[in-house]
Amino acid sequence: MNDMTQSAFHKPKVVGQRTPRVDGEFKLTGRAGYTGELHVEGMLYGYPVPATIANGELEALELDEALAMPGVVDIFHHGNFPKLHRSPNSMGHGDQVSEVRLPFEDERIYYHGQYIALVAAESFEQARAAAQRVVARYRQKTGAVSSLLDGDHDSDEEGQLLESAGSSRGDPEAAFDGSAVKIDEVYHIAAESHLQMEMHATLAEWQGEKLVVHESSQGVFYQRNAMARIFDMPQEHLEVISHYIGSGFGNKLFMWPHAVATAGAARELGRPLKVVLPRQQDMMSGGNRPASRQRIRLGADREGRLTSVIHDSTTETSLVDQYVDACGSATPSFYACDNLAVSQRILPVNHGTPCPMRAPGEVSGIFALETAMDELAVALEMDPVELRLKNYAESDPSSGLPWSSKQLDKCLQSAAERFGWAQRNPQIGSMRDGDEIIGYGMASCTWFAGRQPCEARVELRADGTLFAACGTQDIGTGTYTIVAQTVAELTGVKLSDIEVKLGETSLPAGPLSGGSMATATTLPAVAAAVRDALSALKEVATGSGGAFEGADADSLTVADGAFSDGNRTVSFADVLAANRLASVNGKGSSAPGDEQGEYSFRSFGAHFVEVRFDPGISRVRVARVVSTMDIGRAINPPTARNQVEGGIVMGIGMGLFEKLDYDPRDARLINSNVADYIVPVHADAPEIDVELLDYPDFKFNEFGARGVGEIGLTGIAPAISNALYHATGKRYRDLPVTIEALLADQRSA
Amino acid sequence: MRPFAFSRADSVDHAAHQTAPTAAFVAGGTTLLDLVKLDVMRPTALVDINTLPLKRVERLDDGRLKIGALVTNTDLAHHEEVKAHYPVLSQALLAGASTQLRNMATTAGNVMQRTRCPYYRDPAAACNRRAPGSGCDARDGINRMHAVLGGSTDCVAVHPSDMCVAMAAIGATLTLKGPDGEREVAFGEFHRLPGDTPHIEHDLRDGELITAITLDAPLVPAGSHYLKLRDRASYEFALASCAAQLSLDGELIGEARVALGGVATKPWRCAEAEAALVGQPAEIASFERAAEIALADARPLAHNGFKVTLAKQAIVRALREAARCAGETQEASA
Amino acid sequence: MDDSVHSSPNKSPLGTGDGEPLTVNFTLNGKATSLQVAPNAVLLDVLREQLQLGGTKKGCDHGQCGACTVHVDGQAMNSCLRLAAMCEGQHVTTVEGLSRDGELHPVQQSFLECDAFQCGYCTPGQMMSASALLADERIGTDDASVKEAMSGNICRCGAYKNILEAIQQARLAYDATAERGSVQRKEGAA
Repeated sequence: MNDMTQSAFHKPKVVGQRTPRVDGEFKLTGRAGYTGELHVEGMLYGYPVPATIANGELEALELDEALAMPGVVDIFHHGNFPKLHRSPNSMGHGDQVSEVRLPFEDERIYYHGQYIALVAAESFEQARAAAQRVVARYRQKTGAVSSLLDGDHDSDEEGQLLESAGSSRGDPEAAFDGSAVKIDEVYHIAAESHLQMEMHATLAEWQGEKLVVHESSQGVFYQRNAMARIFDMPQEHLEVISHYIGSGFGNKLFMWPHAVATAGAARELGRPLKVVLPRQQDMMSGGNRPASRQRIRLGADREGRLTSVIHDSTTETSLVDQYVDACGSATPSFYACDNLAVSQRILPVNHGTPCPMRAPGEVSGIFALETAMDELAVALEMDPVELRLKNYAESDPSSGLPWSSKQLDKCLQSAAERFGWAQRNPQIGSMRDGDEIIGYGMASCTWFAGRQPCEARVELRADGTLFAACGTQDIGTGTYTIVAQTVAELTGVKLSDIEVKLGETSLPAGPLSGGSMATATTLPAVAAAVRDALSALKEVATGSGGAFEGADADSLTVADGAFSDGNRTVSFADVLAANRLASVNGKGSSAPGDEQGEYSFRSFGAHFVEVRFDPGISRVRVARVVSTMDIGRAINPPTARNQVEGGIVMGIGMGLFEKLDYDPRDARLINSNVADYIVPVHADAPEIDVELLDYPDFKFNEFGARGVGEIGLTGIAPAISNALYHATGKRYRDLPVTIEALLADQRSA
Repeated sequence: MRPFAFSRADSVDHAAHQTAPTAAFVAGGTTLLDLVKLDVMRPTALVDINTLPLKRVERLDDGRLKIGALVTNTDLAHHEEVKAHYPVLSQALLAGASTQLRNMATTAGNVMQRTRCPYYRDPAAACNRRAPGSGCDARDGINRMHAVLGGSTDCVAVHPSDMCVAMAAIGATLTLKGPDGEREVAFGEFHRLPGDTPHIEHDLRDGELITAITLDAPLVPAGSHYLKLRDRASYEFALASCAAQLSLDGELIGEARVALGGVATKPWRCAEAEAALVGQPAEIASFERAAEIALADARPLAHNGFKVTLAKQAIVRALREAARCAGETQEASA
Repeated sequence: MDDSVHSSPNKSPLGTGDGEPLTVNFTLNGKATSLQVAPNAVLLDVLREQLQLGGTKKGCDHGQCGACTVHVDGQAMNSCLRLAAMCEGQHVTTVEGLSRDGELHPVQQSFLECDAFQCGYCTPGQMMSASALLADERIGTDDASVKEAMSGNICRCGAYKNILEAIQQARLAYDATAERGSVQRKEGAA
């Protein structure tokens, strides 16, 4: 091909340009149908009944009163729920689930909020009223483990060591022992809730042998594959649909038991059933970021060169599945250091199963590592930016491979300059404004760049419009829009004439919307499908009766939704019309390739944070965040920047507010609501200045994009805690940094 | 949310007569429906009182301000009389909840707000306030949010209102109308300490309706300040709050009013601290002494010890700001 | 709403029995609406399920997130904490009633231009609060006042910066269309 499609993404016109979201108007007018607000004929409403204990057995359910209530159709529980199969739960086979235990599988209770029954009724009000009248009797057991962070479990040796999750190089222990300067500290992070605004929701409808499931999902294919195993039915008989998702942040990647309960109950009822988890249940049983305990040992020479890095992590899992939140996964690639070890343990606790939450593992690990680096800078009396540059990894020290593209030095320099880092007086508490002490802090951040296999389909239509489809999802990151941009770039068709369909398993298999991988995964497949469709159309155009009959297909160029041979320009629509064709189709697929063995792919960035601490009233607020990110190319800069800004806001929550409170006596979750689990509100949003560097990473894919969903969150919490150290002289190694932690050693003033 | 009957009251007299013990009045509904959904409150009938003529704010001849029970928190916060003469009340109202909730919530409803204790809000937990005699899961549970003042063995739940803290500082009278006629109760006596009957939260009898709250005449010339300390910057209940009013007599404090929120089982007027301020110089040392007195009887639990310090900080800063306002008022009138 | 309201019609107690449906008449997005609702039916659920107006979102069901914000007689309220039966005679506006004649409301337009959302789930509530705020002279126009007034609408995607920018941008268009002040506040009457 010799036209614009060949090198389209090196000097693109639409890709990389500000593009208002193509799904924006649907979301802004209330017409976007999220799962919970869908309706189908004859639909019933389901309301789950959660266990009120965290450890024990269900002795009896008293259902008579609830069953007699108006509108109640049936109540499902261990005694009458159909026997199903557990999913093999494999990432490799695409049938991973969030919690492998099936709903109502037995009478054991492993966590507060575990479903013990599901009420189905004609109306939502009736289902809820009846659910509240289900009476459960339990045999409660003592010894529930409420948290990894309870004193009993807060040690290096707690939990099961996962050999496969560890790695090492050099001789880190000996190097640490022999280091001139050492840091050896323990860091704790409380369990967090995703608190995505749209609760988990399922609408299941059996159509004969077929099952159609609407789910708020970040991975419709994973859910389809798992459901096929669980219900022992062919994948072709299942369709999972997720057009609009009120975000997920990881807890909608893999299916949860509520979806199995809903589909199973719908089959028994012979009617469609809709279940929207109440917020309380969503927080108890719909995923969480597990608490972590990390010990970091850093050794350095007097000049600040790292001589040893040892990062030992323990994270929680549940008693009904094994989830590993790999805190140390970024550490081996972060800094140039010959001696390094990472280890990972997991400890089962009586919680609903943890799951990935935005930048899983790494965000926790980077908090510990980047706080420890600040401690090392203090010990060395060195500027923390200089310390990071001194240990800059010019290639990936974990693999020895060169980076595909790494601009962290430019991120540090640019953000420091815009922030005014040079004006920082490193003296503790030296910068004041009225009642407030100003603290400056910084941290680097990173997230790996990955790709998954992907397929896409494109249709050029006789009416001049273009249809592109892929079974991935748009969870709010703007996937609909960047797919449309890609199609527009390669065809010159206007965005308003491009229809994008995502979020259905009837479409070509698309990736999970997670891990910041959707962009780099989906767009190459879409581009391949567009090229395939254009080739097909060129064949039509140059074939018998075609608009360019007899011409060399390769000689046709593409612009503005038309072919040109240099003399004549004929629109795609006219080409199709000339041959009386309704459309031509193109298929495309893409997957990670040889580049994977040649380079290491990671995004990096830097956050600089100003906190304001008023010691007289123990009040801390994040006033200002200046960040620079190297994410390769941003396909749509405003939506990419929005991702980073949102990550910063979430990072303020992680740093200062967020903590799931499990009662130490019985592991019951006591703050499963949006008032008592504190997340940032408008008034907490600081002044934010995000810069996206523009270094397209063409070694990764032809778009040069590495993805942007996670990285903004990483590094914020340590930048805040480092700023607090600057303000107060006190080191905060536990998240969230609460008022009581700030108050320790303070007095009223 | 269990089924219930619903009716609309067409007059105050009628409302005051028609309620059975298991019925509830609904005005803003922001507490009631929240708790009915949680199955914490289980009314068999709701009486909608929103059309009753209780929405007037009027200055009485004696200088007091009479506020109708159904005046919304938003309207009260922005009312000219309140902004001019009771700015501490306006500040407290605007520090509470969210714009939407303030648009719904009423003055009397705010007085009747229930505690945010998570064990109270969970029917599966032991709570003497919700289920008398069942015990108190908060006392040895997670009690970061709980009271350090006014608690008992049976209950340590915090009264969550901001508005009531300002009213406690200002001084007010509630007008109650019931089957036996109308009566008045001093604001400070309306809310009960939990003692061994935490389920009796206030001095409101079956069938009685709060029809008005009348604020005492404003302290003049004075400065005031409402300071609310919490984890995030907005839309959160107080960890500690303070309503402070001061009048100045030159450099010395004339009168002082101090009330605390977020730390006590009822809106907490600090009379001894106030007395200790009178005649003292309006300076930090005086405020710190008052703060120590106000918290002298604090009884912290496992997780809320920080509230003792935080409440003192709230008092000192609120008094400082009130004194600054009073100083400006004094200068302006000099 | 002033004291004269108590002399309005339809003041007789409905006296419904345990869970018996009752009729409620109100104006929804400009249209007179009469519905049979259960006494314990919440406005939010009636909108989403009975009327199938899904634009108003459920994020917490307890007045803690703001996703369900609608206008009741011009004021932003949490529809999750309001019984449908309490809306008798009131004007209720949802996001579906925000745009008129196919034209996006200035707030919708500015939200689109400023990319003031991600997943879009809190967005209808954000816009209902924003449009009420712009019409409310009692709320300051500076950024801090807007952020404080908007704090009852949680956005977990964290698009706060762009939402603020969108509101301030819409203010310009809003002032021009003179809608400001069209919502008479109860202040005078109270």
